[in-house]
Amino acid sequence: MGQVRRQRRTGGRGKIAVLVAPSLLTPTAPLAVAIFLATIALVIVRPWRLTEAYSALLGAGAMVIAGLVSPGAAASDVAGHWNVLLFFVGLTGAAAVAERSGLFDALAGTSARLSAGSPRRLLVAVVAAGAIVAALLSNDAAALVLTPVVYVLVARFGLSPLPYVLACTFVADAASIALPVSNPVNVIVSDRLGVSAASLVPVLLPAAAASVIALLGCLFVIYRRQLPARAPLVPAADSWASWTGVPRRLLAAFAVAVVAFAVASGADLPLGPTMVAVWLLLLGAEWTSSRFDRPLEGVGWSLLVFVASMGILVDGLSSAGITAWLAERILGQVRDSPAAVMVVTAFASAVGANLVNNLPAAFVFADAVHSAGLSAASAHAAAVGTIIGADLGPNLTPVGSVATLLWFVLLRQRGLEVSTWSYIRIGLIVTPVTILAALGVALLLGVPR
Amino acid sequence: MSEPRRFLVALAGTEDPALAELVARVVGADVSAVELTLLHVEESGPRELASYQPAVRRGPWPLPKRAAVEHRLADADDEGAAALLAVWHERFAAALPGAQIEHLVAQGLPEREIVAAAQRLNPDALILSPRPRTGPTEPGPRSVGHVARFVVDHSPVPVVLIRRSS
Repeated sequence: MGQVRRQRRTGGRGKIAVLVAPSLLTPTAPLAVAIFLATIALVIVRPWRLTEAYSALLGAGAMVIAGLVSPGAAASDVAGHWNVLLFFVGLTGAAAVAERSGLFDALAGTSARLSAGSPRRLLVAVVAAGAIVAALLSNDAAALVLTPVVYVLVARFGLSPLPYVLACTFVADAASIALPVSNPVNVIVSDRLGVSAASLVPVLLPAAAASVIALLGCLFVIYRRQLPARAPLVPAADSWASWTGVPRRLLAAFAVAVVAFAVASGADLPLGPTMVAVWLLLLGAEWTSSRFDRPLEGVGWSLLVFVASMGILVDGLSSAGITAWLAERILGQVRDSPAAVMVVTAFASAVGANLVNNLPAAFVFADAVHSAGLSAASAHAAAVGTIIGADLGPNLTPVGSVATLLWFVLLRQRGLEVSTWSYIRIGLIVTPVTILAALGVALLLGVPR
Repeated sequence: MSEPRRFLVALAGTEDPALAELVARVVGADVSAVELTLLHVEESGPRELASYQPAVRRGPWPLPKRAAVEHRLADADDEGAAALLAVWHERFAAALPGAQIEHLVAQGLPEREIVAAAQRLNPDALILSPRPRTGPTEPGPRSVGHVARFVVDHSPVPVVLIRRSS
């Protein structure tokens, strides 16, 4: 099996075409699938308060013990993901600096002032702020850090927070196809497919704009009756957090960081070291502005364990021939048409992301597409399609995928009351619309004709 | 002197300010013997969504401390509720001079909390403004939103629905 894996990695296109045969599934395939699904189940159900990182680590260990991945291959998997792993260290660190600096509060304060007490303008401002945060600091930072800030702001206007909380959640993902840094999935996919992350930006940035606008349209239609003409309360304009609360030096460092990152990724430097450099730059600025307290707080170490383990798990699937089999099923008929590849990968990864969550789905699909040995144009289209599907797909429920829904059922059993349906039905509208909007633009811009 | 007449007014906060005048018409003359309880329900759903949404979806992303986030959200809700009730207090005091006005804040699903408050206080009538999510605001099919519909179905006391004035 290790041989198959190495052959696939090092071989040229001709060899891969031989591998993509219906007979590729090895006898160990059922075992590999069982381990993968059991791991995903552990991640979702969280028995004994087991965190995702430990569940994934257990699964990766099972792959090695079952002999599906040799210890050496597992080590080289982890080492092979160095770029992605460094990227996560830098990204989570940078997001933590941004949170500590009061950047999110200042951004929300600006949204509040721009709204001038109009709930509709506030919704636009919140979506714009969420899009900026998601594009520059990742979807998770937008969803996790900005949402509570926006909630507090909306409550002060005396408005129902629901449309705004949902706007934050949805825009975090709608805008997250924009740039390589906007979603961990983007780096995983472009890294695995060997597609330059910067080359995706001219296609995905306009696609992100289209999906954000489509989202805003959906929210306006859905909430047209619930957004009154005026907010019932109008707090004084100077009561909102302002930019003077953020140290100047940090603001300057953020601006430098954005430019530096754009230049570095334009020059196709590896994103991992670039992101770590950006983080160190921000830490330096934080240090000199005397806000340096716990610099390592907020770095996602468990995310590293999760991602590294996920890499080993997917390698187990790959060496059992499953990802190649999946690629053949999904891409077999359409592999020579970039447009069809884009559409098919988008929908397949959207479905996959809803079944097993976005990060695992991104890993599996990136590996599947990689093993299909597509032409450069098709691989580029596949990267765009997979990113759109895996980033936007899990919006089907605003709390995440169908997998998350299961988690909600568990929460409810533990006595937490969430009227899930009222949120899901909004995701059922928003997800297809945003995917179609993004896909339409990507097909126009990203497919050579 | 007769027993005071007691009314429970459920407010989402975004109602038409003219609601106070319309309630005054329902209450009628002799407002001196009127006790008005203004109820505002802090919706629990969005708060849960805002603080629990990481769930599985977000993976092991380093989270802001959940307890701290929940405290911030709860404080914001309390602040918003107090400010809203203060604004409505003034409107009702102007529309019903001399009436005794009290405030009540509850947390949970609005429809359930409104019914629970009606059961507890047993007022002469429960007054609210139906807010249809998608239907028309004029009388007609689907012009009563799901909260008001639930309240009409479950309230132990007479319910008065006051539509927003067009």
